[in-house]
Amino acid sequence: MFPVVGGRSARVARLLAPRSAVLVAAVRGRKSRSDPVAKSKEGRIKVPPPVDPVEMVVLKERYTEYQLIMRALRLEFKEGVIRKKYEQETGSRAEERARQEEGEHRALMEWNNQENLRILKLRMIRVQKEKEEAEQKKLEAIMKREEEQQQFMKEKEKEILQLQEEAKNFITPENLDQRIEEALDNPKNYNFAIDKEGRVIKQTVLQ
Amino acid sequence: MPRYELALILKAMQRPETAAALRRTVETLMERGAVVRELENLGERLLPYKITKHCERHKRGTYFLVDFYAAPDVLPGLLNHLHRDVDVVRPTVLKKDAQTPSQCCGPQL
Repeated sequence: MFPVVGGRSARVARLLAPRSAVLVAAVRGRKSRSDPVAKSKEGRIKVPPPVDPVEMVVLKERYTEYQLIMRALRLEFKEGVIRKKYEQETGSRAEERARQEEGEHRALMEWNNQENLRILKLRMIRVQKEKEEAEQKKLEAIMKREEEQQQFMKEKEKEILQLQEEAKNFITPENLDQRIEEALDNPKNYNFAIDKEGRVIKQTVLQ
Repeated sequence: MPRYELALILKAMQRPETAAALRRTVETLMERGAVVRELENLGERLLPYKITKHCERHKRGTYFLVDFYAAPDVLPGLLNHLHRDVDVVRPTVLKKDAQTPSQCCGPQL
């Protein structure tokens, strides 16, 4: 009636159409070692699959041959690798090659040292130039600052002189009365009128 | 020292009284360590509005301009003194900055 289903779908079928009253969740390997064997598997004896003797003999021969060939190949290859390594380390041409390599190495190191010296010289020149330029700039900055300071001093002196000149006209306690009389006698008028042509009229009526 | 300008409006009085008030003011300034540079008279004129000061209503006043150099900390005291002076209608102290050269192409006055 039911189609043959195996594995997961069997458990799913058991889940969906439970025979027992309780719904059992299907999980793989849910029995431990100490659990008793299931009732359906009580008298089961495990029997290995039957062997065909003729087939077995043929197979065994073929397998031995195959494995022989494979082992031989493997050993040959291994031997080849070991020989190459041996030749490289202590072969006939190993010493020549070693000397050649040493010579090349020395030549390259020489070349490297030469390059280093050359670049060192260039660098020394460049560093020297930069130092000189920095010195120059510092001197220039100092000069500039001194000049500015002198300029400042000159301007301040000028201002002081001007003030000294003007100080002769300041009001002192002795001048006071005289200046008051002067001021009262000469009223000053800062008002003026101007028109679009730029004519300035300073005389205004003081109320 | 910074340079200040005192725009002083005195009561419209007779000449001797005005002279006395001016003398008083300048002496106060000098007492507080100021160096008075110039004293200008802008004339007796109508005030722009009626000012009430010291229980008196003023319509006319004499305008004076005092340039002086002073320390900044004497100013509050000075203004206080001037406010209390009966003859002074309105004292105003302003700072005078150095004149910057202007690029005005108008007529030079």
